[in-house]
Amino acid sequence: MNTIFKYTAPALCLLFFLNPAIIGNQRLTIKDDLGDTHVFGSPPQRIISLAPNVTEILFALGLENKIIGVTRYCNHPKKAQTKNRIGGIVDPDLEKIIDLRPDLIIAFRGNPLRLIKRLKSLDLPVFVLEIGTTLESVFSLIQRIGLVTQRENAAKDLVAHLNGDLEKTRDRLKNVRTRPKVFINLHGKGLWTCGKNSFMNDLVREAKGTNIAGEVPRAWSNYNREELIHQNPDHIVVLAKIEKDYLEVKTWFVEEAHLESIHAVQKDKISFLNEDLVTRPGPRIFEAFDQLARILHPSSFEDDK
Amino acid sequence: MIPKKKRTRLLSFLFLLLIAGLYVSLVKGSVKTNFVDLWNFLIHSDQTHAQIFIHLRLSRALLAFLVGASLSLSGAILQGYFQNPMAGPFVVGVSSGASFGAVLALILGLNMSFWGFSLQNVWAFASGFAIVSLVYILSQRRGVFKMETLLLTGIAAGALASSLTSFLIFFKSESFEQAVFWLLGSFQLADWNHIRVIFPIFILCFLISQWLAKDMNLLVMGDEIAQSLGCSVNQTRKIFLIVSTLLASSSVSVSGIIGFVGLIIPHWVRLLIGPDHRYLFFSSSIMGGVFLMFCDFLARTIFSGSELPIGIITAAVGAPFFIYLLNQRR
Repeated sequence: MNTIFKYTAPALCLLFFLNPAIIGNQRLTIKDDLGDTHVFGSPPQRIISLAPNVTEILFALGLENKIIGVTRYCNHPKKAQTKNRIGGIVDPDLEKIIDLRPDLIIAFRGNPLRLIKRLKSLDLPVFVLEIGTTLESVFSLIQRIGLVTQRENAAKDLVAHLNGDLEKTRDRLKNVRTRPKVFINLHGKGLWTCGKNSFMNDLVREAKGTNIAGEVPRAWSNYNREELIHQNPDHIVVLAKIEKDYLEVKTWFVEEAHLESIHAVQKDKISFLNEDLVTRPGPRIFEAFDQLARILHPSSFEDDK
Repeated sequence: MIPKKKRTRLLSFLFLLLIAGLYVSLVKGSVKTNFVDLWNFLIHSDQTHAQIFIHLRLSRALLAFLVGASLSLSGAILQGYFQNPMAGPFVVGVSSGASFGAVLALILGLNMSFWGFSLQNVWAFASGFAIVSLVYILSQRRGVFKMETLLLTGIAAGALASSLTSFLIFFKSESFEQAVFWLLGSFQLADWNHIRVIFPIFILCFLISQWLAKDMNLLVMGDEIAQSLGCSVNQTRKIFLIVSTLLASSSVSVSGIIGFVGLIIPHWVRLLIGPDHRYLFFSSSIMGGVFLMFCDFLARTIFSGSELPIGIITAAVGAPFFIYLLNQRR
């Protein structure tokens, strides 16, 4: 027994040190945000994205040729629209996904858990990401996606670039002392807004505003009209896909909603923000941040243009 | 009365429909496949097609069949039990109650499972049973059973359970998708584990109800007559109530609430082959299964790229046909 050990021990040690060299390329072991372990050998070649913001990040990391499927909501960049459509965020077409033979599916926690479990039970390689609720969590999202697609350098560059944008806007706002009250209007005329645990709430905070629904404990909520009059916001920011929808909502606020007593309505501070930009925690969120900052504090941006 | 020939004809027709339903469910889908692909898969068994045929399409078709069979058997039992063709798992509140229990278990994090049998099913059963017992007790006045009261109480209790479910979903759910699932039903994420849950329950309940079908025929004539003919009324009633609740709640816990099947199918079968429960239970099960299998097939193929909740199809297909059927009989 002893002699066997004497001869094999050094060999085992040697094997241990040589291990990565023997295998050739490194095997990456990464845990996703559901706590499931994924092992990656060579970089994934056939990627399916289950969310628009993930698609935008993948494109920004230069993975255009590796993406084989996106959701029907993935409309940016333009080239995303030429990819295979695998259905929606909550109702993707399982047959189509299997038929595309992906070697990586990137999902996020907005995809229903039941769906993710079903994909896993079909032995599909689903990597699940938590989106987070702050602007800076987009950076870690990009880095995680960079890690699993083995594009760490591209991710690092992208983060540095976006961080530059973020700091530039923050720099503009650094002397701002007042925080105007803001009401974010999500979908159409229903007074849907975003509460405490939402991405939008952080966006407003960063843009030096006060979200009047910031105390509502839910991420999304239907706001009370009396409460809106009582809170009296200085700004109403309307999220919409296109300008026409925004104008419709604006007309409603001004003419039909009986909110004439509100500052924002009186001073015509009802602004448009592109819904896709704001609601997707991807590279373009920093554009949205800049736009929102300009809406809330135009005087801080007067000297450029 | 009803000739044997008619029953055989109905059953062989249903059997043919079942085969046809299985065939189209397997061959048609968003990924284009045809008979040749299916044949090649059966001979050469290639991996991608194995997943699509076996794990997606076959499991889904079979689950739809089992749920349809369970719901309409449950409906057939309830209609006999309450001696009323308006009864059904949805009408007496079982479905809504079960769905409330399932959602509550989900939100409290009590959805662990043992051997594929999850605690969620137990909750679904318990709250479905609670609702139907409540409805039963409330619709008895001094020992006299009132049908209008039963239906109204059932509808009210069901509405209450639905509103509680919506409340839970509204406050706690991660997404709107769950609301659609629990309130309108879907087989989109069907898998073999669901079948493992519902199949043994269905078989057990089916055997029990088939075994007690004769007693149900007596019960329909009235409790006193049944008693005098040697049927232990109370015990039989209890068993039937448990069986029908178990069927409905297990269906709800795998596929959400699917309306209409449990109401129209047993009724329809009764119009076709008469009120003898020995045949009614069996035929309703098969008919309900085939019906829901076809409905699910439509739900996933009508619009390419997105699925319809199955409740829309069952009502849209079922209701007009049902009305037509009722008018023909008059």
